[in-house]
Amino acid sequence: MKLTRRTALLLAAATALTPVAAFAQDSVKLGYQLPLTGNTAQYGQDFKDAAEIALTKFNASGALPVPVEIIYEDSRSDAKEGVTIARKFVDDKEIVGVLGDFTSTVSMAAAQVYKKAGMVQLSQTASHPDFAKISKWQFRNITTQDQEGAVNAQWMMDKGIKKVAVIAEQTDWGQSVAKGFVEPFEAAGGEVVYTEFFNRGLADFRSIITKLEDQAPDAVYTGFFYEDGAQFLKQMAQLDAAIPVYSTSAAYNDQLIELAGDAAEGLLLTATFLPTRMDANVQEFVTEWDKTHDHAPGQFPAQAYDAVNIMLAAVVKAYPDLTRDSLRDAVAATTDFPGVTGNTTFDENGEPLKELTKASVVGGMFVEVE
Amino acid sequence: MLDPYILQQLAIGLSLGMIYALMAIGFTLIFGVLNVVNFAHGEVYTIGAFAGLMAISAFGPPLLVVLFIALAAGALAGFGLERLAFRPFRRFSDEASLKSRAMREATLMSSLAMSIIAREAMEMIFGSQFQTVDLAYLINKPIHIGPITIVNGDLIILGVTLVMLGGLQWLLKKSPIGLSIRAVSNNALGAKYCGINTDRTIIITFVIGSAMGALAGILVGLYYGAIFPSMGFTPGIKAFVAMVMGGLSSVPGAVISAIILGLSESLSTSFMPSVWSDMVAYAFLLLTLIFFPQGLFGARRERV
Repeated sequence: MKLTRRTALLLAAATALTPVAAFAQDSVKLGYQLPLTGNTAQYGQDFKDAAEIALTKFNASGALPVPVEIIYEDSRSDAKEGVTIARKFVDDKEIVGVLGDFTSTVSMAAAQVYKKAGMVQLSQTASHPDFAKISKWQFRNITTQDQEGAVNAQWMMDKGIKKVAVIAEQTDWGQSVAKGFVEPFEAAGGEVVYTEFFNRGLADFRSIITKLEDQAPDAVYTGFFYEDGAQFLKQMAQLDAAIPVYSTSAAYNDQLIELAGDAAEGLLLTATFLPTRMDANVQEFVTEWDKTHDHAPGQFPAQAYDAVNIMLAAVVKAYPDLTRDSLRDAVAATTDFPGVTGNTTFDENGEPLKELTKASVVGGMFVEVE
Repeated sequence: MLDPYILQQLAIGLSLGMIYALMAIGFTLIFGVLNVVNFAHGEVYTIGAFAGLMAISAFGPPLLVVLFIALAAGALAGFGLERLAFRPFRRFSDEASLKSRAMREATLMSSLAMSIIAREAMEMIFGSQFQTVDLAYLINKPIHIGPITIVNGDLIILGVTLVMLGGLQWLLKKSPIGLSIRAVSNNALGAKYCGINTDRTIIITFVIGSAMGALAGILVGLYYGAIFPSMGFTPGIKAFVAMVMGGLSSVPGAVISAIILGLSESLSTSFMPSVWSDMVAYAFLLLTLIFFPQGLFGARRERV
């Protein structure tokens, strides 16, 4: 046999892995597809870190007689890559369930493979309305705008706010923010006096704000990410528009406060995760996270942490009769799972029913509103 | 017409217009001399903003010093840009090359290439997100005038635009450098035959125009508190439209057109969805090209 460099490497790898493989013969394998390189790599890296925290804790707890392994594959937020990975996971008979991907686009492309092969797929972040509807194999651990909108509508109603202006970015997501809020709000007897969509990255909101003030609403409901949010809030303050601003979890980012400063004070929003919450499991996660990071975990790693834990809990439930089918049923049966992003129950479509946290910016920090 | 709503929208439009004008001045000056669009002007604007930002985070100097640092960074960027993207296409001094449109227009591509390289480099170094700006430096403190609200940045930008415009007119009309800039812009070959150092004149034009672009960048960056690598793109388009509307090589024409553009954009939000307000600029561009190919103010003027 000719000893090429490749065979040498293979041999070395085989020798190195043999003891592990022998030990892990009965280990449970899960796949995780996520972007580890490319321009969304920072999110994927956070997911992986959060997943590792959850996995280490789980394997140390001894809830199963065998360890669980997660195999990470880099999808680079590319739909083609996502499908290739999905095929790879499906072909590996030892893998019983899959987590990911990050974006709705990649998750939905890969979902077609999982649907055909019959493998449970739980995404921590794919929020496109159609994702969970693809088949009985898809689940997600992120709330949709229908849920956030309904909570915000009720929140405003409770405060006696009847006239609202809606400002959202001109994207599919922005449209779903507006729709998710306007329907329940009008059904509850509220009135939407002004709706405006803006192009993402708009520098100057002042014309919109002036027009909005002219309509004299009691509050503004907004669908933006933190950069546009910071611009909007700064210009609201600049024009002395003293109208309360409500927003979604997309605006929940410490950068928003850093960019907008005092102008962010009083912003009200719904979120699923607050690192400042004193619940034991939240603090446990935040403490572990802080050991390896110099910033507090945001909502996305928390979603991933919970997604992994939900999957692991389902593995425990299905064990020892663990197959792709039994795992799917165990995930679907998740009820009131106590995660760091609130309690999770899946409905018949694989949508998580979560309690959303209400938060507000007070003294330069996001704090929970009781 | 004295509805406070309209007045406020007019005030916003005026301040938008001044912001576009600030950028259009340097842009038009460089076009006037070379007769080609400098696609990297937007990146010079961004470099000015980043230079100012780095100065702020490094040693927190007073605002005036920040502005001068941006000016210097812009001048340097302009010099480098001319050297790398424009000079190589003027290395042949025979008459055929000097008259060749192809040689001149090749700089469209080289300046575009420089702009892509500069932007991507900044994204690699700083990331594409908004940079954190020390909030104390922002020039957005509200000032109330009767029913309308403006900010101190509006006054600063108005002042800087007027100084730039006045200074440039003085420079062009009264100084020997201005004379040579005007000569080169009128007829580069003729100027060369008369003994004017065209290379030096072009470099000076780039330095002045780019310094002005960089100053615009830091001012607008502090005005909105938004400094990021692709910040020069949208203002670049608005400045380009203003330049075309003003007749391509007239600085005062570009300033007036920029103000018309700003006013139209802010008023348009009242009549149509805001997502369409970007269309206003393109509509103006199209209408100008169809009905006033020489610019809104006619062509019988001196260049620059």
